[in-house]
Amino acid sequence: MNKPSKRQFLAGAGADAVAAGLGACSSSGGGSGSGGTAGSMSSYAVGTQFKATTPLTFSIMMLSNPNYPYNAKWPFFTDLKQMTNVSLNATVIPGADYNTKRSAIINAGNAPMIIPKTYPGEENEYVAGGAILPVSDYVHLMPNFQATVAKWNLQGNLDQLKQSDGKYYLLPGLHENVWLDYTLAVRTDIMSKLGISAPQTWDDVHTMLTKMKQANPSVFPFSDRWNQPTPGGSLLNILSMSYGTAAGWGFQSPNQGAYWDAASKTWVATGAMPQFQQVVQYLNTLHSEGLIDPESFTQSDDAAIQKFVTGKSLVISTNAQSLVNDYRSALKIPGATVAKIPMPIGPLGAVIAENGASRLENGVMISSKALNSPNFTALMQFVDWLWYSDAGKMFAKWGVQGTTYTGSIADNTFKLNPNIKWAGINPTAPKSLQVDYGFFNGVFAYGGSTAFLNSQFTPEELAWQNTMNQRQLQPLAPPAPLSSQDQQSVTLWGTTLMDYVQQQELQFIQGSRPMSQWSAYVSELNGKNQAQLVSTINSATTSFNKKFG
Amino acid sequence: MFQVVNGLILLGVVAAVLYPFLNILARSFSSEQYIVAGQINLWPRGFNVTTYGHVLSDPVFWLNYRNTVFYTVTATVVSMVLTTSYAYVLSKRHLRGRKILIWIAIFTMFFNGGIIPNYVLVSYLHMRDTVWAIALPNAINVFNLLVMKTFFEHMPPDLEEAAAVDGLSTYRILWRIVLPLSKAVLATMILFYAVAYWNSWFSAFLYMDNPNLFPVTVYLRNLIAGATSVANEQMNNGTQLQIAANIQAVTVVLVAVPILSVYPFIQRYFVSGVMLGAVKG
Repeated sequence: MNKPSKRQFLAGAGADAVAAGLGACSSSGGGSGSGGTAGSMSSYAVGTQFKATTPLTFSIMMLSNPNYPYNAKWPFFTDLKQMTNVSLNATVIPGADYNTKRSAIINAGNAPMIIPKTYPGEENEYVAGGAILPVSDYVHLMPNFQATVAKWNLQGNLDQLKQSDGKYYLLPGLHENVWLDYTLAVRTDIMSKLGISAPQTWDDVHTMLTKMKQANPSVFPFSDRWNQPTPGGSLLNILSMSYGTAAGWGFQSPNQGAYWDAASKTWVATGAMPQFQQVVQYLNTLHSEGLIDPESFTQSDDAAIQKFVTGKSLVISTNAQSLVNDYRSALKIPGATVAKIPMPIGPLGAVIAENGASRLENGVMISSKALNSPNFTALMQFVDWLWYSDAGKMFAKWGVQGTTYTGSIADNTFKLNPNIKWAGINPTAPKSLQVDYGFFNGVFAYGGSTAFLNSQFTPEELAWQNTMNQRQLQPLAPPAPLSSQDQQSVTLWGTTLMDYVQQQELQFIQGSRPMSQWSAYVSELNGKNQAQLVSTINSATTSFNKKFG
Repeated sequence: MFQVVNGLILLGVVAAVLYPFLNILARSFSSEQYIVAGQINLWPRGFNVTTYGHVLSDPVFWLNYRNTVFYTVTATVVSMVLTTSYAYVLSKRHLRGRKILIWIAIFTMFFNGGIIPNYVLVSYLHMRDTVWAIALPNAINVFNLLVMKTFFEHMPPDLEEAAAVDGLSTYRILWRIVLPLSKAVLATMILFYAVAYWNSWFSAFLYMDNPNLFPVTVYLRNLIAGATSVANEQMNNGTQLQIAANIQAVTVVLVAVPILSVYPFIQRYFVSGVMLGAVKG
């Protein structure tokens, strides 16, 4: 017998590896079919209850949330089957590493038909591989989706999802209004003791902090959290929004440190904007006057919370949930009260922007393989009904009328069954809407009209939301879809740039670099490919407008 | 003097290693208000077992625990059989092609297919959602293999020759002569493999699509990540707050204790086994 030489052996192994790679590509690049109509409804429209004409099973990727782990026996699934004639075959993925496994499965060509819980932008990595469907070509099968987009004027948001081929690959969750949640929490008992009224503007916040400091010179009145991975993530985000720029969590949105300047109709470099300088200047003032804790931008959340609940600080960033869970429950100082203040107003007036908070939510991708299925149309109708129809959204969120809830949202009579608890509602009830019934599951329930969203809020949060909803929404940035090569360069430049901006911004705020060096800093940014980044994004917008605008 | 300094330094090391364990243990028995205020060090404050009750009454926890035991036992048996056979073969210097066999093993230390090719392979072999997805892909740990090979190489050849003269076949020599004399290294390897499989979560996470098949490490990981991420839930009631505060500590204790309690029994083999494998005689 001839023994293969070492070289032959290696060559053989190499060829096998290449073949396996090609196999994977070809299987994931499938989807040349045209989509069958078996099981679909011929007269499906807005307001129609979807029910497949034959029993169907669709495969779905299912995120299992640790707070309400997946359970195949949930009434959600049995009721869904009864209403729509559809069973779901779930690939269950623990929530902690959902994205890792989603990547592995999609790239290996094993993706289930329905891939939910995908945030806008996360679909980009799968577009080139051809494993997911350009859903924009098939939205004519989805009357509820189209009606909602038209009614809430969301086409601009959808345009931002478009790739360079002019199509989008994700069916996002849709909100009527921007849902803002983050702002400052203040110790209201201290405010009334010092005779301070609720601050409306950032200048009022400054005044309030000054008075707090005067009354108690030994403390830093403001000590903030949410510093990982972005220092001052929440504070910089809401502050920059009111100045007409982006910082903190919002810095990278929508485009890696480029900001759409509506006045000049071009993208500009966020970190070099005069508004950005004003934001930094504001915080620098707070810092130099001893109003903000020097550790404010570096400490852990736990450290910041401990300072707040033990009275060592009086102001901290918050959202509705942290207000209740982190602060109120742990604040054991007698007489201490804490509340969310409306997001303070800046030089731009009472405006809000979709920085970091968008009207688009996480949504659904459809596998390209679904196109080969004889039930493709039924699948699209099913997705349209469950995620985008009023009835479907109501079912996914609150369950079945007469069983899990009574009344309706439209006439304001909605009431959860008193034997069922959800979050703060009916806290002592024996059953949980999420754990025992499978409703209000993050995979299916999100988005919707403002009234619908409001049904989940406590009266206190509702009042806050109503204040915020009166603010003017800033114009949206236009789409700037990048080719995959440009995307790589922009991500690379953007990451370095963001690190540098964040590092310098902290030095300016904390005074370790004097504000007089601002123009030197701006020219340093140009040494970090800032100009290339901005011009790449600008030309992407220009060529998109030329092609599709 | 030397001993005193040495002792002090080692005590410091012991303290640094032990402190996190004791802190987790203390947190698991403490009440929420002290945990949130960061007042727990080595001793529980406001003794409380609400969370233990909650976790121990969760059927999914027990189901996943049973899976972990099953996977650990099965995968360790498979690993031991394969590693022992491979190492024994490699220890025979007269074997032709021995170097190639060694290089095949070593090659995998430096190169591997990556997540997606592995996933495709495991899928094509229909091993997803079975114990084989956990037991087979990582069945032979090359480091363990080499330690074992070195151990077998130092076994006096006369013993095996004598057995062969008495008419024992190769397999019976391995089974009757070599393995009974290798208890130290076997015990060490069993410990290495068992601990690795007990703690591993990634292959189970990747290849299992059914939550009833998850090991308890995936359950634990999901809990920890879930507790630190911003969950869309407002918790007002005292029990829930208590559970949120120390469920991680409780689950860490429950998952770590069984495997920790194996160590004292294997300790004496462990030390001699590692030394025997490593030192050239």
